[in-house]
Amino acid sequence: MPVSSLADRLVALVEGAAPRVEFGRLTVDVPAAGWVAAATAARDDPQTDLSCFDWLSAVDELDAGFDVVLSVYSATHRHRALLRTGVPRSQPRLDSLVPVFAGADWHERETHEMFGIEFSGHPGLAPLLLPPGFEGHPLRKDFVLAARVAKAWPGEKEPGGDRPRRRARPLGVPEDWEQP
Amino acid sequence: MTDLPPRSRGVIALLEENCTSCMLCARECPDWCIFIDSHKETVEPPGGGRPRQVNVLDRFAIDFALCMYCGICVEVCPFDALFWSPEYGYAAGDVAELTHERDQLREWLGSVPPPPALDPTGPVPAEVERTRSQRAPG
Amino acid sequence: MWFATRPLAVQPQRRRNDPDRAHYPRSVATRFPAGRFTLWVLDVGLACCAVEVVAASLRASAEPVRDHPADVLVVAGTLTDTMAPAIVRLYAELPEPKHVISFGACADCGGPYWDSYCVTKGVDQLVPVDVYVPGCPPRPEALLDGLRVLASRIDAGVLAG
Repeated sequence: MPVSSLADRLVALVEGAAPRVEFGRLTVDVPAAGWVAAATAARDDPQTDLSCFDWLSAVDELDAGFDVVLSVYSATHRHRALLRTGVPRSQPRLDSLVPVFAGADWHERETHEMFGIEFSGHPGLAPLLLPPGFEGHPLRKDFVLAARVAKAWPGEKEPGGDRPRRRARPLGVPEDWEQP
Repeated sequence: MTDLPPRSRGVIALLEENCTSCMLCARECPDWCIFIDSHKETVEPPGGGRPRQVNVLDRFAIDFALCMYCGICVEVCPFDALFWSPEYGYAAGDVAELTHERDQLREWLGSVPPPPALDPTGPVPAEVERTRSQRAPG
Repeated sequence: MWFATRPLAVQPQRRRNDPDRAHYPRSVATRFPAGRFTLWVLDVGLACCAVEVVAASLRASAEPVRDHPADVLVVAGTLTDTMAPAIVRLYAELPEPKHVISFGACADCGGPYWDSYCVTKGVDQLVPVDVYVPGCPPRPEALLDGLRVLASRIDAGVLAG
């Protein structure tokens, strides 16, 4: 099924869907309230048949909140789509897709521990990869990699051993980070 | 000893004479495993001319425990002071022994192979192409 | 897969210095020749370096044997904080005399992931390491060289053997 007709079909199935085609790949933005309904409709409709769950993850969009992205594939029609929804940063809560795709279980556990997004209706939202006792949500953009701040950057010196004229910051350290 | 393919990445050798302490390799290293110390000295060129400042290398060390053998330092060096060598047998009993200093990096130069020949079916380098076109009318 | 990549099952009634070492369960150790020694190697393959250890066993024509107690623990791959307790337990369950080879940059000192939020910077933070093999990943022949270095250190009396 060509990408444009897949986009049209998904718009017809899902309320409030906004499709985008970039580099031949389809991303459909759906409102958060209709997240489960959108995934169910995409899976069950025989024309789209997006029944193969690929992955589910999130993107930290800073003030715009978190974008939760679902990648699904159709083995019969050989087309794929990304379903995307946004949750606000102040209340990152979304319905769980485990009733729709059983494989979403571990993906939602990982997204929960890495971004702090609550998936309501999930059978057991325990951490998956992080060690017990880990504090914080590592894949959020405000989580600083402290190791690169603590170790002195060998490239900070100027050739000839002078002190650098402007404060050279190592990569990944935000501007307002205070030196320990 | 197995037949190693050309351009095998075993260890990095330093030709100190080419190094100007420009710090590009230390800055570009993703693992921060190159440590360079240098100072400036004023040198009077023989035969007159005004005195110039040169960078003198005090310390050049690569921590091979951290190194991920990406080759960014070798590629970025503008003066061709770093070379790949296929030697791999330098396991040590202490992790500090895996930080190789200047003299050890110089020793690896002995095992640096000559560069492999250019691919005869590959594209012609721009420098050669330019000289060819300059000669063609003549 | 020849090599045991999961930690040994904990059996509470086992004593650590059990003279009847044949009862230690389910450790698949591989026999590597190293100088005048034969070293029995248990590979803890955590990440990409595990493939190089497998290749090394093929180069050395080493045969794996089930239920054979291991002399050398080769930690190959990135040690995450989640996996750290398993490595400590695995080391504790090995019978004496035991040695540890840290294989690859990640096991030596965290490697390219030293700045990660959940990587242990080197297996020597948890267990004593006898030989460090650098590389990312090291060649399979580098493991054989590391075993030779270990054998020579045992020979020289630097390590208990």
